Amino acid sequence: MARSTTTQRKALNTAFAWGIGLLIFFPILWTILTSFKTEATAIADPPVFVGFEWTLENYTAVLERSNYARFLWNSIIIAGGSTILGIIIAVPAAWSMAFVPSKRTKDILMWMLSTKMLPAVGVLYPIYLLFIKLGILDTRVGLTIVLMLINLPIIVWMLYTYFKEIPGEILEAARMDGASLREEVIYILTPMAIPGIASTLLLNVILAWNEAFWTLNLTAAKAAPLTAFIASYSSPEGLFYAKLSAASTMAIAPILVLGWFSQKQLVSGLTFGAVK
Amino acid sequence: MTEWLERHIPKMVLAPSFIATLVFVYGFIAWTAWVSLTRSRLLPKYEVEGLIQYERLFASPRFDTAMMNLFIFGTLFILISMVLGLLIAILLDQKIRTEGVLRTIYLYPMALSMIVTGTAWKWIMNPGLGIEKMVRDWGFESFSFDWVIDPDMAIYAIVIAGVWQASGFVMALFLAGLRSVDGEIIKAAQVDGIPSWRIYSAIIIPSMAPIFLSAFIVLAHLAIKSFDLVIALTGGGPGYATDLPATYMYAMAFSRGDIGQAASSAMVMMAVVFAIVVPYLYSELRVKHD
Repeated sequence: MARSTTTQRKALNTAFAWGIGLLIFFPILWTILTSFKTEATAIADPPVFVGFEWTLENYTAVLERSNYARFLWNSIIIAGGSTILGIIIAVPAAWSMAFVPSKRTKDILMWMLSTKMLPAVGVLYPIYLLFIKLGILDTRVGLTIVLMLINLPIIVWMLYTYFKEIPGEILEAARMDGASLREEVIYILTPMAIPGIASTLLLNVILAWNEAFWTLNLTAAKAAPLTAFIASYSSPEGLFYAKLSAASTMAIAPILVLGWFSQKQLVSGLTFGAVK
Repeated sequence: MTEWLERHIPKMVLAPSFIATLVFVYGFIAWTAWVSLTRSRLLPKYEVEGLIQYERLFASPRFDTAMMNLFIFGTLFILISMVLGLLIAILLDQKIRTEGVLRTIYLYPMALSMIVTGTAWKWIMNPGLGIEKMVRDWGFESFSFDWVIDPDMAIYAIVIAGVWQASGFVMALFLAGLRSVDGEIIKAAQVDGIPSWRIYSAIIIPSMAPIFLSAFIVLAHLAIKSFDLVIALTGGGPGYATDLPATYMYAMAFSRGDIGQAASSAMVMMAVVFAIVVPYLYSELRVKHD
């Protein structure tokens, strides 16, 4: 008896949890569904959830009328470039803090992380002016550098927490066997650090991909990534919901897929390693 | 030589990150602080004139609205996200089989750009298309949900989307906290026949105080920095009813050509963040040093 009530209870809890999941997913699902409707069905009265005629016309329209491929390419270059650049700079720093800590290491780390809390608006204008001076306003190079810089503290911090988990004894054992610093880094640390670096990579690509504040402010036509594309698409054509949805779906699809196949990294990355 | 290198490499490799953060963040903040004390308008000027920009700022009804909105939005956003996040975390803690998948779904809103998911929210909140229309079609003719176009209510529409975005994230933080509570104590309480709501409210949740604090800090700084949310949903409108300090600053810098106002409003935001973050960091550092 007691057993059957707990099974029932469990089923109820599961159903409830899925109900909430559906509620949370609804706006995303709705965007995807709408992207496959005609403009007329998209604003149909009453709203159509299933059983409408699927069409790809919004996708072809968006691809034809806008330079979608260029925005996508900008997104890929900027998100990928800033992430790789950031990791190259941050790995040595995190390595040094995790394995050769000094008295100030914790302070430096907290200080770096604290800058992430400051509102970006405080540095927006000087950077804007600097970009004009250097002639890198609305360029992929400029945006890549800025996104690398704003996410650098997070990258350092995440890598640090992952590196911290690598047991020091292994390094000591390697040193006893006469491994040089270079060998230690290449043959022992790197293989053990790869999962941590992968999580950091994923999170940072997502953060950079979604970045809107800097991309909206520092790009116009040439270097604008997908976020800027959606923002521009939604103002003058605000009433074309189906086309806007198609554009949106194309912008979120990579993250949806990436997130699904790397659930663990997504969860631990978004919670800054609080959830493993 | 190699020995010298091995001894100094740790500092040398840390330097780029350190210097980048120092210059990029504090250097440019210093610039903003300086300009906020000048008469800069369309172009930055560098003669310090005193607090004139701040006087203008606090006299501006638009900035007043922005600060009031930040207060309303921040309070509701933090409170509701925390409550919902905690409830969902407790639900997921009931040994639900598909937990991994659900966690990912709950976190999706945080992983996707609000600029993009705002598309769906615009539809949902549009009185002619979304919820209002749907409920009216079901026969409740007098039902109304037009917050997004009502100047008095639009900020609450932004709260809804903000809560949607953040509560899954808070859930994940709390879930980690729930899991880290000592299992033995919980077992002992269960053996004693203490009902599970009592176990949660008297044992588990009180022991999660540090997680509440970090969730609060994360949410608070998200609220202060909120920009995409407003741009995606209302663009600051109707009028400037949903302006937040970040969008105010943006409008001043880029459409009004008023750098002085932009700089001074940025400094005010900075002060608000400092007021919240510094005590937290201070207490964190003290704990770690002891």
